[in-house]
Amino acid sequence: MVARSTRSLLPYILITPPIILVFGLIFFPAAQSFVRTLTGVDGSFSFERYLEFMNDRSSVTSLIFTFQVTFLSLIGLFAICYPLALYLRFSNSRVAYWAQMVALLPLFVPGIMSAYALIRFFRGRGLLETIIYQLSPVLSETYYSPYVKPEGIIIGSIWESIPFTVLVLLAGLRQVESGLIESAQDVGASRWTIFFQIILPLTRRAALIAFCLNFIAIFGSYTIPYLLGPAAPQTLGVLMQRTYQEYAQPLQAETQAVITFAVCALVGLLYVRTVSSQRTGRN
Amino acid sequence: MRTSKFVLRLALLGVVVMLALGISVVSAQEPSIINLYSSGDTNITDWLQNIIIPAFEAEYPQYKVQFTNSRAAGDEPIIDRAMAALQTDDDPQVEVMDIDPRGFGASVEAGLWYEPTVEEIPNLANVIEAAQVTPLAASYRGSQVLIAYNSEVVAEEDVPTTFAELIEWIKANPGQFVYCRPDRGGSGGNFVRRAVYEVSGMDPAVWTPEFNQELVDEFYPQAMALLQEIHPFIYDDGAYPAGNNPVLELFASGEVSMISAWSDQAIQGIDRGFLPETTKLLQFTDLPMPGGYTMLAIPKNAANLKGAQDFVNWFLSPEAQALVVEVIGGFPAIAWDQLTPELQERFNSVITDNVPTWPGGDYNPPLTELWYETVATNIDPNS
Repeated sequence: MVARSTRSLLPYILITPPIILVFGLIFFPAAQSFVRTLTGVDGSFSFERYLEFMNDRSSVTSLIFTFQVTFLSLIGLFAICYPLALYLRFSNSRVAYWAQMVALLPLFVPGIMSAYALIRFFRGRGLLETIIYQLSPVLSETYYSPYVKPEGIIIGSIWESIPFTVLVLLAGLRQVESGLIESAQDVGASRWTIFFQIILPLTRRAALIAFCLNFIAIFGSYTIPYLLGPAAPQTLGVLMQRTYQEYAQPLQAETQAVITFAVCALVGLLYVRTVSSQRTGRN
Repeated sequence: MRTSKFVLRLALLGVVVMLALGISVVSAQEPSIINLYSSGDTNITDWLQNIIIPAFEAEYPQYKVQFTNSRAAGDEPIIDRAMAALQTDDDPQVEVMDIDPRGFGASVEAGLWYEPTVEEIPNLANVIEAAQVTPLAASYRGSQVLIAYNSEVVAEEDVPTTFAELIEWIKANPGQFVYCRPDRGGSGGNFVRRAVYEVSGMDPAVWTPEFNQELVDEFYPQAMALLQEIHPFIYDDGAYPAGNNPVLELFASGEVSMISAWSDQAIQGIDRGFLPETTKLLQFTDLPMPGGYTMLAIPKNAANLKGAQDFVNWFLSPEAQALVVEVIGGFPAIAWDQLTPELQERFNSVITDNVPTWPGGDYNPPLTELWYETVATNIDPNS
């Protein structure tokens, strides 16, 4: 009797520590911040902090800029990773094996190191321009360095996110059964038909997962935009740090953080829906 | 059976006794901890960790310095913690901080900082007057921001000697000059402050430590207008790197031929071959760029106050001050004549007694904010 009741309690006992951790370290402080940002100077409910944010030119510019950088990075990321994942899924060659190894490499490089490596690679007189110069000195005159430019953040974010995206897309593609494709081929479906009618719909979920998680990571990132991005405009992560530390305005920084969190939470919701529809088998 | 059990128990007892003895012996010898925080650039934190702390511990074996690099998180959270500890009478877990307390207004108002005295820190008597900028901390090294240029690229007759000439030089040589974001490194921050001096009659005495909003309103927009003038001619159409080191790297790679740089970092860079041999340093003859003294601040509720005082006292000894000059190319907080003649000779070119000190504190945030909003974006400050 005792043993049985302990056993039935066991799952709850096991999940208690993570729940305490998640609520104590994430939900509770986040809720506190949220309430604080909705409290006016006189202690009553007020939107004044958010109005202040919306009326501040550099905050709004930063919000828009963060969206732009995130979306452009995601477009670039999918343009590179989807074809790559397709190739890795359907090729059994040795080259594919090595390509996968190389694609996963950034996973093992800490962000700050890849940022410095990229700076040395693509800044003026960096490795890339030197190579171009060796090939054609005239061409190197037109070299455009993305260092300390918005393009720097986009390239850096793409570079950092490639391994994860390839892994998720590849996992999705592996779930597409080869038999399905072979039977389509047998009835004479063209490559494009197979791609658009079978592969794309079946990998939609994997793509959504990759989209959501990358969006959240890039939207809130700090190291890459700080080291590779321009002084103005800056992404929310960098602005937040500057507001908190340099201007010593923790309340404004908190408002920026809540806005960032809210955007990411919306995308997180999309992720949760995508994953749970997979669990319940609904599409 | 019985005997073996007895032997086992005896052995166990022996182990326990020896462990207990061992622990008590260790605890008797255990040095007391001094927690030191610094958010300095790598040249400073490396020097503290690899040179300063071992030298101090060798001389004072009763102490162990626990070093924490606060560059990533910033000093603010540590100070906040110390202030909270002051209210609740707890251990702030920090003895010495490599900061200027005046930059943290709330902590000064809360009376967090111990004011060093000659009675408790005898070597404080050696500190020169120029370095005694605040009673809240002990200055231990100085440096100034100067102009570094590549003499291979910049002809001797074109080298600017005043700030106004530098502005002209920048305009005449597009893309060849760069300074870093003012909040991300003092080499950029003090360049921007020099622009403030330039438009306010080149009189640092105007900028007293008491914050004056009128000065800000009057001179900051003028300084921004001056910096906007050169914005299109800065490296890569106005790209400002995020720190002292990225600027030095652009200079080292030959991307730019003139930069604003910290004296200590530039001297170290030339010594170690990181910067080209043809690198030359200059300071404006009309009014130098600001520099300043870096200080060690001690929260008055520090658990190991005596250790903190001994550490600072040792740091102000001529032996430790020689390490400031020799290893990082900084200037000492004590008079040069207390150092060896060889050292004085070697650092002849940077010895100066005319470096203005920017008051900092509340003057900084609006300057940084205005710079980001007007210069970096190139938007008219009056619009």
